[in-house]
Amino acid sequence: MIQLKGVTKKFGALTAVDDVSYTIRRGEYFALLGPNGAGKTTIVRMILGFSAPTCGMVTLEGMPAANPAAHQGIGYLAENHRIPPFLSGRAYLRRHAALVGLSGKSAQIEVDRILELINMAGNADKKSATYSKGMVQRIGFGAALLGKPKLLILDEPVAGLDPIGIRKTRSILENLRQESLTLILNSHLLSEVEKTCDSVAIMDQGRILVKDAIYNIVKENESLEDVFIRYTERNGREITGKGT
Amino acid sequence: MNNFFKISLYTILDQMRSKSFYVLLGIAVFFVLLIRGCYKADFLVNGELVDSVTLAWYASRVAFHLIANGMILMAALLSMSIFSRDESNGSLVLFLSRPVSRWQYVMGRIGGTWVLATAFMFILHATIFFITWIKTGGVIPGYLTASLICSLNLLFIILLVALLSLFMPDFIAAMMTLTVAAVSFLSDGVFLVMQNRAVQATLSENMFAEPTLWRVLFPKISLLQHYAVIHITGNDFQSMGPVHPLLNLLAYCLLSAAVLLFNFNRKEI
Repeated sequence: MIQLKGVTKKFGALTAVDDVSYTIRRGEYFALLGPNGAGKTTIVRMILGFSAPTCGMVTLEGMPAANPAAHQGIGYLAENHRIPPFLSGRAYLRRHAALVGLSGKSAQIEVDRILELINMAGNADKKSATYSKGMVQRIGFGAALLGKPKLLILDEPVAGLDPIGIRKTRSILENLRQESLTLILNSHLLSEVEKTCDSVAIMDQGRILVKDAIYNIVKENESLEDVFIRYTERNGREITGKGT
Repeated sequence: MNNFFKISLYTILDQMRSKSFYVLLGIAVFFVLLIRGCYKADFLVNGELVDSVTLAWYASRVAFHLIANGMILMAALLSMSIFSRDESNGSLVLFLSRPVSRWQYVMGRIGGTWVLATAFMFILHATIFFITWIKTGGVIPGYLTASLICSLNLLFIILLVALLSLFMPDFIAAMMTLTVAAVSFLSDGVFLVMQNRAVQATLSENMFAEPTLWRVLFPKISLLQHYAVIHITGNDFQSMGPVHPLLNLLAYCLLSAAVLLFNFNRKEI
């Protein structure tokens, strides 16, 4: 479904992504892991067509990522998600609904469904300027879920959420498995990734160090965090506070 | 509804949510209403009392220019943070993560701002038009048509500010655009003064050189405004060079839009 072929992205002398190739199959719950500056967000931005690869190709359902038609059926939650401060949560979701082609009664029904799903129905009509970080995050997550997307790209989706919000997010994602959703998750919360995803790619310095199903790379008596540290250390990165 | 129209509509709604928009509109209407006093006052010119219809006619023309020029400043202010504001408040990601092409986003933002600025200017011009009508009982023909012609100036200003804001801070982009407008008013203004018979009679013949090429090719903001006023006065129009100011401004709008789209398509979001 999503294919990266020899993708490299350079910003001047800095190589943010270095010759990355992989495929994410339909229905796969996939996580991109890596330390800060590993190139994860750059890859997500290229999948969304926000940034063009210096060389190589990113395709979604066979279409170049820059083609707006390829964005049909994508839900995206950005890292440090923001909402225009003058819009209420409901107005923000209505705009998303309009842009995915919903209008009138169907848009209203879908927005109400999402607001219930993310527990924001009670605050939906307040200006987003009054929202907490967690509420902004929940509205952003709700916007990504609008219109029943086929591909969900979530960049740090549980940042700012309380434990109940984290559990709720995980539960929603679990339920969406039945709808053949494909998930790309960028997160530093490895325990969440381990509970949610089927496969991971660990990146460092723009390169993929390993990409496999979680059950293949996490050995017995080991956590995903141990695997992550092992691979990044092997790549020459010094890890402080290991095992704490 | 096409995404271009949706984004244009959101642009108008977002701009109208801002309190400063209403403050500016209120101030503008207040100043326009102040002009009412001119229509009732007694003015003596060369010892003769000027009748109210003649007075209203001239006051309306002066007001037309003041509004059209003020709106150039207003259009620059409205358009100077189109992209940077969207980047900082998350609107850019909202639009472009959906099946919205970049040209739809850019042109939607530009189109919405243009419609709003044009409506703003039209309301002010219409206020003058109706005040004159009520006070004198006479309709100024072509007044509202002239207002619509001047909207092309606003489109050019909005496009140029948006284009320049991709390469420099918003305020500098607005200032540079206003400098272009100021140069146009200076260059076109000199040309118009030179067309005046009284001026021609006082100056020697060697002072009437043809305008230089850069002046002929420069955006004809002022001359377009003058052309618009011709619809009110009914005078003959003398164009600078072979290209009509309407075509000149249209060409600049198309060029600015093309360069803007080309550069925005290459922009990293």
